[in-house]
Amino acid sequence: MVFLRSEERLERWLAAGGWQPGATTTAVQLHELARRWWSSRLQPGWRPRTAAESQAILDDLGLTGDFWQLTSPLPR
Amino acid sequence: MTDTRQVDELDLRIRNRIYSSFVGSGDAPTPGGIAAELGMPEQEVDAAFRRLHDAHALVLWPGSTELRMLNPFSIAETPHRVRAGGRSWFANCAWDALGIPAALDADAQIASECADCAEPVELEVRDGRLVRGAELLWHVLVPARRWWDDIGFT
Repeated sequence: MVFLRSEERLERWLAAGGWQPGATTTAVQLHELARRWWSSRLQPGWRPRTAAESQAILDDLGLTGDFWQLTSPLPR
Repeated sequence: MTDTRQVDELDLRIRNRIYSSFVGSGDAPTPGGIAAELGMPEQEVDAAFRRLHDAHALVLWPGSTELRMLNPFSIAETPHRVRAGGRSWFANCAWDALGIPAALDADAQIASECADCAEPVELEVRDGRLVRGAELLWHVLVPARRWWDDIGFT
């Protein structure tokens, strides 16, 4: 999970590593995700989130689709 | 993501003590230190460290009970340094770098780097808003369901 300065540098970085592209967001969207994901981490009553609660944070920010699914889909 | 099935109330108490100790002192606590603070046998705390690792509530170095990550904080030095509240922290990744001000509920300056060119990048959070670094991109290589397969790489 890395910062990049531009789309051009992202493409160059992916090519250099021989990696398939994953997912890209703006730093603004990342900041909102970080705020929602981590803000309770040091609170005295902290309890681990369920997978559904974590998924809801991603979904709420529009981070949807197979790439952002935290658990495997149920077998069909 | 933490697997809620694997931790009990005692584990959570130990986990909370680990975090408060680290944030208070800046030093990574050991099972022996936490055991002394809580008046518990070290063996029990040692086992709790391992359960918390297995539950993704913290990360240990392989084959030991030495702390590697207290997400979003990194115990080890990384390219992501966060200054907040007059102190300095290391984050595990770009996401965690912005997670530290969120966890501390504090303004922060983040010094990181572009993964491609290694040029420095700077971000700043003030009053809960990202006021510097908004032009940067964040890239995630690993699909979410595989983040914990190799959390160091993720």
